[in-house]
Amino acid sequence: MKNIVKEIESKFSNHDDFFIEEELVDKTAIYLIGFNTLVDLPKSKLYVQQMAASSTSLKVLLTNLSDQINVDTAQIIKSVLEGKLVIVSKDDEENAVIDPIAQNLSSSIEEPKNESPIQSSTDAFGEDININVGMIRKSLNTERLCHCSYQVGELEKRKLSMLYVKGRAPNDLIEKVNQQLNQIKSDIETIDDLNKQFGQRRLSPVSHLFATELPVQAIHSLKKNRIVLFLDNCPFALVFPHLVWDMLSSVNDRNFPFVLSFMLRLFRVIGVVATLILPALYVALVSVNPEVFKTDLALFVLKSREGIPLSAFLETIAMVVLVDLILEAIVRLPKSVGPAITMVGGVILGQAVVEAKLVSNLLVIVITAIVIASSAVIGMQNSLYIRLLKYPILILASLFGILGVFTGFIFTIIYLASLTSNDIPYLTFRIEQKGDTK
Amino acid sequence: MTQRIQIGAVFIIIHLSFGYLVYPNLVYVLTKTAHWEVVMCQCFLELVLIWIYMKGLNYFPENDVIDIFLKMGRWAVIMFLTPFVIHLIALVALNIRLHTEVIISIFLPRTPYWSIMALLFFISVYTAIKGLGTILRSSIFIFLIVFPLVLFNIFSSFINFDLNNVTLGWNSPPKFLLNKNFCYLLGFSSFLFLGFMTSKTKLTFRPFFIAWVSVTLFFLSVVYIPLYIFGQEPVVVMTHPFMEAMDSIDISWFSFNRQPLFFGLSLIGLVILANAVILWMIGRIMQKMLKCSKGESSYWIIAFSVIAFIFALFIPNKTLMEKWFLYSTGAQAYLMIIIPCTIFIYGFLSKRGVVGNEKK
Repeated sequence: MKNIVKEIESKFSNHDDFFIEEELVDKTAIYLIGFNTLVDLPKSKLYVQQMAASSTSLKVLLTNLSDQINVDTAQIIKSVLEGKLVIVSKDDEENAVIDPIAQNLSSSIEEPKNESPIQSSTDAFGEDININVGMIRKSLNTERLCHCSYQVGELEKRKLSMLYVKGRAPNDLIEKVNQQLNQIKSDIETIDDLNKQFGQRRLSPVSHLFATELPVQAIHSLKKNRIVLFLDNCPFALVFPHLVWDMLSSVNDRNFPFVLSFMLRLFRVIGVVATLILPALYVALVSVNPEVFKTDLALFVLKSREGIPLSAFLETIAMVVLVDLILEAIVRLPKSVGPAITMVGGVILGQAVVEAKLVSNLLVIVITAIVIASSAVIGMQNSLYIRLLKYPILILASLFGILGVFTGFIFTIIYLASLTSNDIPYLTFRIEQKGDTK
Repeated sequence: MTQRIQIGAVFIIIHLSFGYLVYPNLVYVLTKTAHWEVVMCQCFLELVLIWIYMKGLNYFPENDVIDIFLKMGRWAVIMFLTPFVIHLIALVALNIRLHTEVIISIFLPRTPYWSIMALLFFISVYTAIKGLGTILRSSIFIFLIVFPLVLFNIFSSFINFDLNNVTLGWNSPPKFLLNKNFCYLLGFSSFLFLGFMTSKTKLTFRPFFIAWVSVTLFFLSVVYIPLYIFGQEPVVVMTHPFMEAMDSIDISWFSFNRQPLFFGLSLIGLVILANAVILWMIGRIMQKMLKCSKGESSYWIIAFSVIAFIFALFIPNKTLMEKWFLYSTGAQAYLMIIIPCTIFIYGFLSKRGVVGNEKK
């Protein structure tokens, strides 16, 4: 055994899945090197032997197997880590990096889990980055679709792909994103890690990236002058930049006639507004400004709160927090327990809370309405941030009544209007600027 | 194109904000009949001034008012814009105080006014610091929220109309033009902000004409609604005729008791954005005048807004405030004539000068 093999062996001495197999090919001994968790060894061996049978010499065999011949040690180590099979001849003179028959580690194309498209194809992105890019290429076969790939990270080199349509996405945006992706120093584990690279938005609930599972949606975004990023092992297309319109419209809406899709979008807008202001409006109208109602209506509202010991603000905040807790808990629960908990949470708790006179009937209606309304928007992430933004308005409402509701709402709009990613404002409906086709 | 729509929305919002409260009172003082004549005169005068202003600004593409004054020389900036800044600070303070007074009387009679002023100030300052882009983008959304409220106010008041209260007449000769109150009235049309937004987009006259028409219609409705409901004599003595006109309306099928609620809501949106624009203008002037970076201009905005806040806090009573507000609009009227004319004349002269230089 010569130098290279020894060096590699010592490098991987504390990896139990590392193998060095000696094999006789054409009366010369060769070493097969790799990870058996990434390489299907028996099948790969068979493949090499079959190839060897039809080759006259070792040199011919290696040329037949691969085009990466006689590389240096560093390259060999890198290839081993990437799941390649390395062949080194015993006399250490020749080596080759070949693509082995790999262990099947990725799942096939499945149906979407987080989105449920209606009247649309039900493919969803998987975990393998190449399959994902392939899915886009298959449906958008134009030579203007450009693909830049990156390897980022400090500890692990993670694959990252940027896709855009030349002539659609603005050139300076592509350049900036390219720069930002090249500058990544730390490991990218989650979408939020990647998000940070596009500018600090630490305290902001709105992400720079919009995650979608559906190839249709990703292709639509590409056509609408945006950039799509793929991260290895992340079953989402990350659309950059994230715009407010993503929350309200999906491309599948347009499978219906225009009037119906308009109606759907209108309902989503109503959903957003209702989630933001309904609980606040309840607090404002019940505790601070009851006089704005007509007398009989005001009396009805007050009557529904008769005998309730909590103040309107406490009552509302308790219910809103409780509901958000339930929503969060249901996500974590195993599928078999979920329905039971939903029943206990919804039916028993709701009934009990009203009968114990802890909260008013009216509030239960309001809370149910906002829970449903907050899910009308597209994207889990968007629904979550809308749910978060209702709290500041609620607090303002408890202090200033209707004035607080309105200022809170306007402040939310101003806050959203102030967000930009790479100079593209969040509150635009589409990116008008186009890039050059050159 | 989008930006022009946004600037148009800001234009309308600022006019609405100033127009809602004091505008009707000033018109009622000026004349007893033919109020529309006053409104139209004021609006036409404004249109002429806007035209002059835009013509002047278009001599210098991609420059705003401050750049143009800087071209004239540092003395010009100090001479023209320092009084303007002082005037703007006073305007912010008086504007917010006046609006807060009305908002309190509608929503929260028992809440101390400093807390509401602080709330509104905070949002305005935040918007101003975030810059022009934020102001313009949020203006569209605020416009979309407030405009239906304004329309609702106007249309719901029809049920209380008594057409015998006013007959449309004709005043000739228009004596009110010589009254000093007309000067105050002119001060309500604040279009000077247009000159600060020109660095990115070139302004064209046509979209503003549409904005101007809608503002004129709004002014007419604001003046005539209280007139049709109450008549000329009671209206003159009222402090806020439009609000009281709203208060008199009672729609039986509607679940809300008090109509001024919607008036108050629209005022909130309007005053926040109007003040944000003014504070942003102050920040812009200080930034260019003292050549500081963008971050530093936000310190100026905060500093001046604190001054304005303290000023607004210490205005002792309402009558004094309204008096000062009138003086401030007088100053506004003065600046509104001076600044556009100066820019126009300078632009005209320098264009000739440029042609002369090229020949050499």
